[in-house]
Amino acid sequence: MSKENKYLWLHKLLYRIAFITSIFVVLICILMLANFLQLKKSDPVNQKIINTLVERLYQNPDDHELRAQVRELDLLARKAYFTNQWQIKTGTYLALAGIAIITIVFQWIIINTKKIPESLLPEAQPLYMNNKNARKWIAIGGSMILLLALVSAWLTSLQLKDKFNEKLVQNKQATASDSVLQVSDNIDSNIADSSTITISANPTEIKDSNNVPTETIIEEDGSKDNFPIFRGSMGHGIVKQKGIPLSWDAASGKNILWKITVPLPGYNSPVLWGRNLFITGADANKREVYCYDKNDGKQLWKVEVKNIEGSPAVAPKVLAETGHAAPTAATDGNGVYAVFSNGDIVGIDMNGKLLWAFNLGIPNNHYGHSSSLLLVNGKVIVQYDQRNAAKLIALNSKTGKQIWSVNRQVKASWASPILIKWERKTMIIAAAEPYVAAYDPETGNEIWKNNCIGGEVGPSPAYANGTLFTVNDYSKFAAIKLSDPTNTIWTNDEYLSDIPSPVANEKYAIVVTSFGVMAVYDAVSGSKIFEKELNESVYSSPMIVNDKLFVTDKNGLTRIFKMEENFPEIGQNKVDDNVFPTLAFAEGKIFIRGHKYLYCIGKK
Amino acid sequence: MKKRNKMKKQYCIFIFLILLPLQSLVADGFTQRFPKPDFEEGYKIPETQIALARSGYWEYFDVALLTFLLSILTWLVLKKRSRNGVLLISVFTLLYFGFYREGCICPIGSIQNITAALFNADYFVSFSTILLFLIPLIFSLFFGRVFCAGACPLGAIQDLIAFKPMPLKKWVQSLLGLIPFIYLALAILYAATRSDFIICRYDPFVALFRFSGSFLMIAIGVLLLLIGMFIARPYCRFFCPYGVLLNWTSRFSQKHMSITPNACIECKLCENSCPFGAIDKPQSFKLYEKRNVMVQRLIFYALITPLLMFAGAYTGAKLHENLALVNNKVSLAYEFMNQEGLKEAEQNLEVRTFKALGTPLETFYKNASDIVRQFYIGSIIMGAFLGLVFGLTLSRLSIPKYKKGYWPNKGTCFSCARCIDYCPVKPNSIIKK
Repeated sequence: MSKENKYLWLHKLLYRIAFITSIFVVLICILMLANFLQLKKSDPVNQKIINTLVERLYQNPDDHELRAQVRELDLLARKAYFTNQWQIKTGTYLALAGIAIITIVFQWIIINTKKIPESLLPEAQPLYMNNKNARKWIAIGGSMILLLALVSAWLTSLQLKDKFNEKLVQNKQATASDSVLQVSDNIDSNIADSSTITISANPTEIKDSNNVPTETIIEEDGSKDNFPIFRGSMGHGIVKQKGIPLSWDAASGKNILWKITVPLPGYNSPVLWGRNLFITGADANKREVYCYDKNDGKQLWKVEVKNIEGSPAVAPKVLAETGHAAPTAATDGNGVYAVFSNGDIVGIDMNGKLLWAFNLGIPNNHYGHSSSLLLVNGKVIVQYDQRNAAKLIALNSKTGKQIWSVNRQVKASWASPILIKWERKTMIIAAAEPYVAAYDPETGNEIWKNNCIGGEVGPSPAYANGTLFTVNDYSKFAAIKLSDPTNTIWTNDEYLSDIPSPVANEKYAIVVTSFGVMAVYDAVSGSKIFEKELNESVYSSPMIVNDKLFVTDKNGLTRIFKMEENFPEIGQNKVDDNVFPTLAFAEGKIFIRGHKYLYCIGKK
Repeated sequence: MKKRNKMKKQYCIFIFLILLPLQSLVADGFTQRFPKPDFEEGYKIPETQIALARSGYWEYFDVALLTFLLSILTWLVLKKRSRNGVLLISVFTLLYFGFYREGCICPIGSIQNITAALFNADYFVSFSTILLFLIPLIFSLFFGRVFCAGACPLGAIQDLIAFKPMPLKKWVQSLLGLIPFIYLALAILYAATRSDFIICRYDPFVALFRFSGSFLMIAIGVLLLLIGMFIARPYCRFFCPYGVLLNWTSRFSQKHMSITPNACIECKLCENSCPFGAIDKPQSFKLYEKRNVMVQRLIFYALITPLLMFAGAYTGAKLHENLALVNNKVSLAYEFMNQEGLKEAEQNLEVRTFKALGTPLETFYKNASDIVRQFYIGSIIMGAFLGLVFGLTLSRLSIPKYKKGYWPNKGTCFSCARCIDYCPVKPNSIIKK
């Protein structure tokens, strides 16, 4: 009896066992399938009847009987669910056991029915033919993989690294202010190391009596000859200086004392102290601070701001109309302080020597940082209203060290802070959605706030005669009496500005819109007195010079209005450049920065 | 005989039908989770604990057991030449390393631990893991792929279920045989960048060993078993990344299993006995092309290999961003970038985790950017490596191998000892020419 015949009856038996086991497994599978469907249908925590009862229980929370009924039903539903789960699990084990039996049976049969294998390959090919086919298909397969990979890479080009770096630049601000002190310390120790800052031109020693450091630069009436910050000494846009020319013309050279080309672009305005005129310029790759002699326009020095610790490798993306050097610098006679779109902030002495520098963190806003610096009692005030991390920061103007920093629960803004004095108390005023607030310059403590402004605030507040004025597009023009700062005395939303800041005196509150309408309101009642179509866009903020209003449009045309009834226009003066920045005034001269040129206008 | 064959086919169909619906039930049954109740009394539901790795001596017990099994398998294959013995070890391996140890940690997955440790100074890899990685390779270096024969639970489960293996054409095997190289390259790239352990994540059988897993992975596992009934060991042959390393080391083995214990008489009985197509047949000069044709082709492939490497590197560089998106940090940063509101989406688990970690957003973006950079370099190397693999494979297929007798291919043979039983030559038989 051969081995094969010997096991024949056993094979038959095993096949039958396998067959019965297979039927068993199939049955188990069917039962499990039914169970699974039932389980899927019944969601124990979402039973219609229970939900209805729960709803009723919410209405009658003291109905204990109903509560007990809900619990009972809930328990039943959960029990049913768990029973179903147990059944599925048990079924799975039974099915796997069945499969194991079948496997064992088949393995036994395979082991005990040795036979010469049939020819498995349909036709025996010579090896070289097999290899030829293999090479062909590998070439085809490889090419397909390569092609698919390239096509998918091409179709889904993500530029992830660049985008992350871009985001990194935008979001760096989140932690920067926390590290300001630390970074400042580092910078302090590095001041002597000229490698951190490159001074591109030899600093010129300037001996000027006006360069005497002062503890405070507050000049409430704007009557001094210096022009230390954006829109004058306190940022009100009011200048009281003698000898300001009322007519000029760049084409004919009338009253143009000098005109120079500015190396790098920037929408910041000139600031002046003594003989020195400061502006900044920047593009995505380069940031510079320039100092000119205001008398002849000769460049005294320039400082390239680079290699700042913490400064991002890639500048943030900014709106073309903002640029990388929108914030106006500030000077207090001890130095000049400048901030750029990437958060780099520097203090440079009057001779072009670096005092301090660090990075505030990448401004997280979508247009680019534009808030100008404010100076008060030896402090450089930075309104850093960024998305999700708005702050007002005070830095020591000599060392750059943070003196205080206050979090502001506001949205991103592009406005500049101003200073006001009210009842012998100096306050910093900063506006951003949803409020305008006053802060103590010494401590940063919030003194009051008024929820009167909304939107993406660009215009800075105006102040005159105890009344504060704020405006923003899609919001309102509002007046706040400082005697009761939490209340708004009037609002008007007929003409609103999104870029030029308002300006006011004791009688008039003036708004110039960026689309070119000048509207004059009664400062006390808020009623509109006068409006004028300027027929040109205006980005530059209007300035009150003595009793006249200077309004400069984008084309470089400055209209001068007498501030009296009907605002008679007394002059139209043009420079041959586009002008976005606000005019600066000092010692009877006007300084206009255009896209390409910087002009000094004075009586010849 | 015919009747019995017919019955076997019927049972095969039966099993196929059984497994097909089972996979969905098993999957759903395993993945169902009861929703967490809310306890008003303040009871806190304990956090789910991930099964801890073996600690202390037990780690080394597994290593010792693996070494013991490999030694036994070597003895069974080389000395005892026993297929049944190998089969029994396979069953034990499946039960212990598969179902009891739940397929973890295995030498296949250890590739990633070793890679992560090599590329990341702060990644700790235990000595036992290093041993698990090296021991099968050392055995392979001397005795062939005895690990695949019966010490690997993934191989064992497929081996046991290979009821009716069908042959594949050589060119199909050669083509599909390149997939493990791609898988290995990707696994190393993702492990080096600490993005993912894809070998473990896409281990097709671990979900079955654990009676738990995603529907997709259980479905893939069951599908591979179904395929495995007719195409033996599909995962081992066409996916296993560790198999690439074993293939390389096994080629140097001096004591590899042979089909015949003595000189091969070329009786052809074993010719088709290997369900994995791992037997090299005798090749004579007559069966090859002209010498000059082969030489020219070989030179051609030698010349284009650098070009293939360059093409691979270029493609890798182009594809690196897509590959990088597998990394959690990169993908989350990408999501943040595209959905501004997502950063505040508290219901999103990843966002909550990100917030809980307290990583500043700028650091997060910087990390993501650095990882993308790592992927850029890694993808170039990976592409060049794959270009080299394709080039060398094409070259290898152009080199004639003249040989006498039937021999297991040292690279691809799993040392399962199936072919041994087909050889009529006995160890002590005297062969008369």
